[in-house]
Amino acid sequence: MKCIVSTTINGEQRELAIEPFRSLLDVLRNEAELTGSKKGCDVGDCGACTVIMDGKPVNSCLILGVEADGSEITTIEGLAAETAPGAPLHPLQESILQQGGAQCGFCTPGILMAAKALFDETPNPTEEEARFAIAGNLCRCTGYTKIIDAMMTTAAGEAVR
Amino acid sequence: MTPPTVLEPYPSAPAVDQSPGDGLSVVNTSPPRIDGVEKVTGSALYAADYSLPGMLYGKILRSEQAHARIVHINKNKALALEGVKAVITHADVPHVLHPGAPAPRVGQLVADQYVLAEKARYFGDGIAAVAATTEEIAEEALHLLAVEYEPLPPVFDVEEAQKPGAPSIHGTEGNLVGPPFIIERGDVDKGFANADAIFEGHYETGRPVPCYMEPNACLCRFDRGGKLTIWSSTQCAFMVRGILSQVLDIPAHDVRVIVEHMGGGFGAKQDLYQHEFVCALLARETHRPVKMEYTRKESFLGGRSRHPTKIYLKQGLAKDGTLTAREVRYKSNTGGYASHGLGITAVGCLDIASLYRCEENLKIEGIAVYTNNPIAGAYRGFGAVQAFFALETQIDEMAVARGEDPLDFRLKNIVGDGDLSPSEHKILGDGLAACLKRGAEETNWYERKKVEQPKEKFLKRGWGVATEMHSSGAYPDINEQSNAIVKMNEDGTVNLLIGMADLGTGTRTMAAQITAETLGIPLKDISVIDGDTDIAPFDIGAYASRTTFVGGGAVLKAANHLKRQLLELASKPLNTRWEELALGSGRVFVKKSPNLEISLKDLVAGEGGRPPRTVIGQGNNEPTVAYSFGAHFAEVEVDIETGQVRVLQVVAVHEIGKAINPNAVAGQIEGGVQQGIGHSLTEDFIIDKKTGRPLNPSFVDYKMPLALDMPKIKTIILEEFPDPGGPFGAKGIGEDPIIPIGPAIGNAVYDATGVRMRKLPITPEKFLKALAEV
Repeated sequence: MKCIVSTTINGEQRELAIEPFRSLLDVLRNEAELTGSKKGCDVGDCGACTVIMDGKPVNSCLILGVEADGSEITTIEGLAAETAPGAPLHPLQESILQQGGAQCGFCTPGILMAAKALFDETPNPTEEEARFAIAGNLCRCTGYTKIIDAMMTTAAGEAVR
Repeated sequence: MTPPTVLEPYPSAPAVDQSPGDGLSVVNTSPPRIDGVEKVTGSALYAADYSLPGMLYGKILRSEQAHARIVHINKNKALALEGVKAVITHADVPHVLHPGAPAPRVGQLVADQYVLAEKARYFGDGIAAVAATTEEIAEEALHLLAVEYEPLPPVFDVEEAQKPGAPSIHGTEGNLVGPPFIIERGDVDKGFANADAIFEGHYETGRPVPCYMEPNACLCRFDRGGKLTIWSSTQCAFMVRGILSQVLDIPAHDVRVIVEHMGGGFGAKQDLYQHEFVCALLARETHRPVKMEYTRKESFLGGRSRHPTKIYLKQGLAKDGTLTAREVRYKSNTGGYASHGLGITAVGCLDIASLYRCEENLKIEGIAVYTNNPIAGAYRGFGAVQAFFALETQIDEMAVARGEDPLDFRLKNIVGDGDLSPSEHKILGDGLAACLKRGAEETNWYERKKVEQPKEKFLKRGWGVATEMHSSGAYPDINEQSNAIVKMNEDGTVNLLIGMADLGTGTRTMAAQITAETLGIPLKDISVIDGDTDIAPFDIGAYASRTTFVGGGAVLKAANHLKRQLLELASKPLNTRWEELALGSGRVFVKKSPNLEISLKDLVAGEGGRPPRTVIGQGNNEPTVAYSFGAHFAEVEVDIETGQVRVLQVVAVHEIGKAINPNAVAGQIEGGVQQGIGHSLTEDFIIDKKTGRPLNPSFVDYKMPLALDMPKIKTIILEEFPDPGGPFGAKGIGEDPIIPIGPAIGNAVYDATGVRMRKLPITPEKFLKALAEV
């Protein structure tokens, strides 16, 4: 049996027919065909699936798709205002790109969404706040150095085009 | 006793034009990655992101016994479940043994794996597989498979496994994977007799797991003509093709392996994993595409860890502070299958023969032993992490015993220009000394004791140092080779085809930078295809710190080959000999009068109604070896009440000849330090000693450093000894930064507390136990 879930994803109203046991992550990846959110563990340990749901960063693998009914979700695909080739990136994306904060890139979508949630609340975070905000996001390539550098340059407004 | 075979440095350094004239404009700069926008926007596609119409989902049933014969698997209930399309067991797979670890031409690989075996050799060994219309149905079907096991006695410890009467895992004598790897040079007995003091110790390293963020995944499709296409997350697309081709009995041109983006590998994804075979077999049986994704737990259970080792090390020290002899026994625990067991053991033995001079009195024996643990395979630092942990710890012990500064003691004994490298080549340059000196300057090393200790009496701070040298590429274990093709399009832009996956290291960007530099075109005019076996030329893969040195060299040769053709082509319209022409800013011009020029577009575009020609440059690179050098300095704070060790800062100095992209190099160093801090302090994949059941196959119980745990890392890149065999003098960096951090931390713990740690990881329990024994 499938349920109809009505949700706003990246500003677009979507009606999705989903099985009630599906995680929001699976719904996003398979039903909404937004594969930017990654499945690194599927049990809430790695943060690669982080999306923003009603203003809060969540591990989408720990939320049922049906729980998203009536909510507003932003995924990595909706982070930049425009998606056309060559369109400006979100300042955090630009900054991660310039600093080299994305290596294999698998954790990057989740990190960017966790970082966005921080910046939405705290536009000028301290380094400690930046580290805390992504403490639930595992990265195995960067040692976090360039990710934190990117967040701090964004805070300083340096990466804003 | 045999004298060492001393080889001259790098006899086959490629004779290519490496000087693009007036300085570098793209190489040695740090543009953002050419695939970076894809990655920050979530549009980069990884293997699990692909789907096909009619696609099924595959799942593997994993053994719940560490050592057992599979008497029978009843498939009936599973097959009866609606949505299940196929179930396969050992009876249904090709009866072909394969080595799992793909590196051809290497005598050290052992073909000891079937796709699915009649005998489980570790807890988690795949014993059956299903394909179903959804992932959930496939999962449910696994529970419906009734397995009848005949339990066999398991063995988990290398020493136990060698004893007479120990359970036999592959029917080999003493459970040895292969014959011991032996290095005997000079006369160790004489060396020890001449020593003033003898140092000996037993060192052990743990079982860290690479923990690439992307779990293993692949998607397989057979077309009606019998051609297999597999999208996979692998470092070695051509090796996947080769071994699949062999096991499935399909010719190479009918196996297409595609790797687009890859979420890390760190060496482990050189191996072919069970799902890559199983997925193809399920697709062949069901005539439908099949996708398989490992769960994180499966990536632990059925993945590859570093080899745990037990290393006995004995060295002689003369009165003047020089070393007189070194004796080593190096034992690797390879788990249920050989994978790279022999290779890492050989590399560990070769590495520990170098780094510090010991009058070339060496007696080294290394063995790899089967046990019923999960498979240990290739992981960044391949044997060197273990070898240099032992050596660099004991070197520190010797310095302390002499009352000499550990840095000065190292400088006295460290190998340098003309000394023997692990590959028995003469070392090129005093890179190790340069790294040590630069790090000492940065850390104000000789003043470190003047720094105030914390007010809390239970907190102790100290500094440690350790070094490493690492080969760029796997020579002499592998006779290295890479290929590249550069095509110039009708508008003067370029498609670069290489066979090395970009597992996150920046391979594409490095290759594009070398091409842009050589052809004098902007980076944005280059598109790179990597890891598609139908399109790219053969490449053995992305591992062994080889992509820049070996693969980048092939790209440089291909670009130079194209350049020569473009210059020759332009000599007619410019009415000048090609030798007097140069490339730059997307045009060919006369060196002496740069206003005489033709754009690349005009040069290659068709004229007079004729369609354009394709100008293709091809490069084949077969270098021997180069060595990168490194020294890490770590400051730690130890809580002697809880045993907690915290790394406060790391200064990482690496000499790599030339950094093609310095920012990407720094990224490699920072990431290597993170993984190294992990395996030094918190990361250990723990296997129950009675049942062989892995106890912590999750990110909650297996602790990698988080953003909050990471100290400040100062990376310093030295370019003092460019290698004549590397593109623009570049050498490798991938593995180097994970190697010296462990002993640097261990030595810092000693400096802070006087407690010598000889086993990794240095957990609070181990530290407190060692403290109690002091």
